[in-house]
Amino acid sequence: MNEVIEKAREIITGYDGPKVRIMEVCGTHTHEIFRQGIRSLLPENIDLISGPGCPVCVTPVGFIDEAIFLATEKNCLITTFGDLIKVPGTEMNLAKARANGAKIRPVYSPDDAVELARENPDEDVVFLSVGFETTTPSSCLAVKKAKELNLNNFSILTANKSMPNAYLKLKGSADAFIYPGHVNAITGNAVCKSLKDKGVSGVVAGFTATELMSALAVTIEMLKKGEPFFVNCYPRVVKDEGNPAAIKLMDEVMELCDTQWRGLGIIEKSGMKLKEEFADFDSRIKYNIPAIEGKPNPGCRCGEVLQGHCKPSDCPLFGKICTPLHAIGACMVSDEGACSAYYQYNQM
Amino acid sequence: MENIITLAHGSGSIQTSELIDSIFKSNFDNPYLTADDAAVLSLEEGKIAMSTDGFIVSPYEFPGGNIGKLAICGSVNDIACMGAKPKYLTCSYIIEEGFPVEELEKIAKSMGETARKAGILIVAGDTKVAGKGQVDKIFITTTAVGNIVDGVNTSGSFAKPGDKIIVSGDIGRHGCTILLARGEFNIDADITSDCAPLWSNIEAVFNETKDIHVIRDATRGGVGTVLYEIAKQSNVGISINHESIPIDPGVKGVCSMLGLEPLYLACEGRLVFFAPAEVADKVLNALRACENSTNAAIIGEVTGDNVGKVILNTAVGAKTILSRPSGELLPRIC
Amino acid sequence: MCVGLPARVVSVNDGTAIIDANGAKRDVRAELLDDLEPGDYVMVHAGVAIAKINSDDESEGSEVMGLLSI
Repeated sequence: MNEVIEKAREIITGYDGPKVRIMEVCGTHTHEIFRQGIRSLLPENIDLISGPGCPVCVTPVGFIDEAIFLATEKNCLITTFGDLIKVPGTEMNLAKARANGAKIRPVYSPDDAVELARENPDEDVVFLSVGFETTTPSSCLAVKKAKELNLNNFSILTANKSMPNAYLKLKGSADAFIYPGHVNAITGNAVCKSLKDKGVSGVVAGFTATELMSALAVTIEMLKKGEPFFVNCYPRVVKDEGNPAAIKLMDEVMELCDTQWRGLGIIEKSGMKLKEEFADFDSRIKYNIPAIEGKPNPGCRCGEVLQGHCKPSDCPLFGKICTPLHAIGACMVSDEGACSAYYQYNQM
Repeated sequence: MENIITLAHGSGSIQTSELIDSIFKSNFDNPYLTADDAAVLSLEEGKIAMSTDGFIVSPYEFPGGNIGKLAICGSVNDIACMGAKPKYLTCSYIIEEGFPVEELEKIAKSMGETARKAGILIVAGDTKVAGKGQVDKIFITTTAVGNIVDGVNTSGSFAKPGDKIIVSGDIGRHGCTILLARGEFNIDADITSDCAPLWSNIEAVFNETKDIHVIRDATRGGVGTVLYEIAKQSNVGISINHESIPIDPGVKGVCSMLGLEPLYLACEGRLVFFAPAEVADKVLNALRACENSTNAAIIGEVTGDNVGKVILNTAVGAKTILSRPSGELLPRIC
Repeated sequence: MCVGLPARVVSVNDGTAIIDANGAKRDVRAELLDDLEPGDYVMVHAGVAIAKINSDDESEGSEVMGLLSI
């Protein structure tokens, strides 16, 4: 244990003030907090809530249905981040579709999907474009590259999300937010600073044990002071101005749209879709996908879990029919999903 | 002889015996391997261990080995973990029509070499050829048998609270090697498979002490899966110091790139020992003196509480449960 | 939401860079960062270098906590 962790640990374990609720927004934070066992250090009066910052968890059922439609009805080769493979659709997930013969291929980067399209001119390659501001530039770069290469067998199915308006929806769910470090690395800190002016507090944090512990310690110290605050606890990566080139790129290729978040419903201007001049690369337009309304399991309370309104254990499906091996809700699918983390952690 | 395998090679015809003579017999040669229907063998008195394993791996050749070497190591290591000195092995091939004979020769050669190194005799075999597309190039199944060394009594259900847990080397190299060899993620790293026969390592430990409760080779599922298996089978808890697990830096790099947990990557030449604390250092030193286990390390211990669970002690001085992967390992972005 | 990979830049060529994380190397898109040079450390996400890294986490942690005099 280094000195920073030791000092942070003292502050965190020694907190004896009124009950505070801290929400980590980012799924990777949830994952690392779990992996480091940080929850087990928290005194009872610190409640750490896992928010909706896992693109897998907030991707609606209908999106998976659309992907399966493209794979099975249009014989497309679906490329995707591995995260989405097990996310439940209405009838099945992508893993099951693959077992039934659909072409589903995990990739590390959208660029790899473009490469695949170039090498296989007879395949219609579709990339499942999910993610927040951190990931969206990679999709934009891929689309631009496909356009430069004049590829007519590559398109993306967008479900990209934008955080600022989602924060407003979450306002009141917690006393302070741990903002997602890599989203801020792109967007910069202006949004978080303006949230502070609206009374929403938070810190932006990195992902190592040292960074998470120091960010939590700073949050607790600032909460003690009782004033709204914003602190950049990840300055080695996050600059106030973010990454201007990435912002410009997203602006050039995509535009904001209203979008559905699994469990949260439609949030205005919280999604990203391709601009009209890139319509040739928009799978929905290219394949004329019919309106598909996904049907999540009615008992699933993922939405409330994501907003911190209920604990995973309050859901009637949790741990009974919904477990990491047989996930019903998205929060149980990935390790960083709140339900999955809660399920495994509470077995200790 | 033709330069590719054809259906005729599997038909029991002249081509079959030509194939057997020119490729298998020359590489496996020993007095027990005859043209008869079965090998006639004798074993020493006492208990024997016997195990069978099927091997499919894509690609069939990878840095550090090929499917042939793997097929010998897999079965040899399985019986070695029960304390058995490897003695005889049989192998069965299912080969896809069109497979290059030259490649088959390479595979047979490395099987012969690995078997000699492991001290096991290949005494019988079978070859079938499947039509194009019916199998992925080549599948091999091996069965190994050997006598259990006197005084050794190991089982997955013998782990006891207080036992130290020792791994014989850095983990996850085979899984990582295969992942990279498939070329799907365009990652380049200097990593070779840990695939190796391990009887000599186990024998070296037995020369120091036979007081070993469990020996398990970590194959698919990796060391993490072994830990969960033993926790369940022995009805104990397992406590691991995350930072003491030996991991090759390259494996660490690939894992951080793809968001994978090295504890769940396959190994093909790594043992996990559960031994009483008093003999743990002996085991460790014996292993460190052997080829393929110089990086052996004590990674944790068995506990009476947290039965059935694997608990990790983390860098922040906290405890967490090792999460269990559900199904295939997938690279992730979040 | 976003796994980041800290890695060292080995070479830069026309908008792409070869990065090295503990010996694992890969081509990534580098056109979103200006003045990237071999030896720089970057944060990589989904095959794109998204930010430069200018110190290690421990000195960052003590700096952040030091600022608040905690």
